Amino acid sequence: MTWDIIGMSAVCALGETITGIHEALCAGRSGLAPMSAFDPSRYRAGLVYEVPDRARPGVDEPLRATRWLVRVIREALSDAGLPSAVPGLPVLVGTTHREMRTAELWWQYGTPLAPADLHFTSALRAAFGTSDVHTVASACAASLYALGMAADLIAMGQADTVVVAGTDSITESSYGGFDRIQAPPPDAIRVFDRSRRGMIMGEGAVAVVLQRAGTHPGRVYGRVRGVGMNCDASHPTAPDPAGIARVIEEAHHRSATAPDDIDFAIVHGSGTPQNDLAEAIALSEVFKAADPGPLVTAIKAGMGHISGGAGLLNLVIALEAIRSGTLPAVDGLTHPIDEVGDLRVVSGEPATGSFGTAQVHALGMGGVNAVAIVEGPAP
Amino acid sequence: MRIPGTVRTAITGVGWAVAGPDFDPATALAGRGMRHKDRASRFALRAAQRALEDGGLLGEPELADAAVVLSSNFGNLGPVCDFMATIATSSSSDLSPMRVPQLGSQITAAWVALEHGIRGPNLTLCNGASGGLDAVAWACNLIAANRTTAALVIGVEPDSPPVARLHAETAGLKWIDGAVALVVESVPHAAGRGARIRAEITGYGKAADERSAIQAAGAAATSRRLVGEPAARFGRCSGALGVVQCAMAVEQLHDEAVLAIAGTGAGEGDETSVSALVLTPPGRAA
Repeated sequence: MTWDIIGMSAVCALGETITGIHEALCAGRSGLAPMSAFDPSRYRAGLVYEVPDRARPGVDEPLRATRWLVRVIREALSDAGLPSAVPGLPVLVGTTHREMRTAELWWQYGTPLAPADLHFTSALRAAFGTSDVHTVASACAASLYALGMAADLIAMGQADTVVVAGTDSITESSYGGFDRIQAPPPDAIRVFDRSRRGMIMGEGAVAVVLQRAGTHPGRVYGRVRGVGMNCDASHPTAPDPAGIARVIEEAHHRSATAPDDIDFAIVHGSGTPQNDLAEAIALSEVFKAADPGPLVTAIKAGMGHISGGAGLLNLVIALEAIRSGTLPAVDGLTHPIDEVGDLRVVSGEPATGSFGTAQVHALGMGGVNAVAIVEGPAP
Repeated sequence: MRIPGTVRTAITGVGWAVAGPDFDPATALAGRGMRHKDRASRFALRAAQRALEDGGLLGEPELADAAVVLSSNFGNLGPVCDFMATIATSSSSDLSPMRVPQLGSQITAAWVALEHGIRGPNLTLCNGASGGLDAVAWACNLIAANRTTAALVIGVEPDSPPVARLHAETAGLKWIDGAVALVVESVPHAAGRGARIRAEITGYGKAADERSAIQAAGAAATSRRLVGEPAARFGRCSGALGVVQCAMAVEQLHDEAVLAIAGTGAGEGDETSVSALVLTPPGRAA
């Protein structure tokens, strides 16, 4: 079984359209900039990937993650040719921080907060008339978890169309937490590089409309072949190569693909020493018999780690890479670690070619993993 | 969304860890393995242990293929607000690195998975007051989709100064401080290992209003309803509500199906969607 992607939209520090974000990645551009809304004197690091949409520079606003979510869902529905009122349509939202930034502003500065602000049902019900909203908070694997859950709903006949989304705005607590544990703080994200020092937060939202295969009369961007989801259950913070290898193999199994079928992988690639090492080991293991094996890339140097939506952003960029035949390189990679020695990591210039099938990763703290296999539209 | 018709699912274990006369958090949440863990995770670990014990799965190797599905709305609110206050009055250098994992809503489900070696899907839902019933329904879906054999469903809401302030600001007078856990598995799986089926999950619906949710759950004819009892006992249960309802229903289930309704009319201060779930006594499912 496969599932069609018939509408999509994204917003992040690197752009407001998927083609725009893909072009910026291929040009090696970065959305990294000095922080605008937090007080830099409170942190060691001062760089961050923000969506520059605050009404007044330096003054933060509540409910930005909700605002972007409503926007990308509206755009994805419109892109799919669907009406903006969709009563009863399931919407699954992957998020790491929910509206915890709004909660921070409430706790510290007294801006309003209601219990219903901490999930997305109320906002999406007001915007689209549906109450079948699920806020999936499985860390930075959340939007690919949501994709797998959506595919299950369609497979079991519970729905024909499902909106899958991810959204997060940067919270001061998590920015501060990473500032505390990443010392010295990273000045850039350098995935798979020996000099990598860690992750830098980003923000934004992504939405796709998923539909039962073969039922949409209009444009189809691509097909989801299968989604694997699991948990390392081995360490509270450090990723486990064995758990990642298991989830990749599960995704291959559920999508009836073999390692040789995968043309490229967009990895989670957060740029932390442990993440990149674990993903490199897992990929080398799973693809050890593949010849030549997939191209491997990562995109977070462009827009930072947008948290809950990161996996779905990897997915829409993968579809755009398939469509355009251009796969962005890993930005900032000059001295690769030994563990990627057997992998075809794309560095320097984008790779070009005729790509059919892609694998995308999303890994969350706590060893929560999801991997999706997608392919271009049927010819 | 409704319960998949292809696979029958059942509750086979229940575990409680809620502050009250029988559970003093000051002592019950202390001890080995609790250091550096947030309050939600401590409660959830205690409830999970009891549910697995009750369901006869504690320490069983098959847990490696199981799933965790957790519902909570305020699990990480306390740690997030603590960090925010430290940053606003000092700087990031005064934050505790050991507490950084507590900032994520998902860390509680991850701790439970780690404790019991549960390597299947690890799902955290923050759906408001309907989340507990939604979590049970998603557990059924994960089983029907062949992603797991059994799921540990947990509802947890820890008390903390931010949680107390949020309830107080929205007319809440009393709220739960604790976790409840259920073992959910397919009926054939439960029968195969000789587990005692406590209730079958036979209907689920989610909608904008109570009537539509009940209709979607196929439960218009179910007369026995469980709505206000958790509120009377614990006050607001928020994300734990549906799991509390299921645990209470299982304890009270005799020969009549019970309909649990969460998300409206229970004074939760979060009436954005309504979920309805039907629990049927063992052997009586159609």
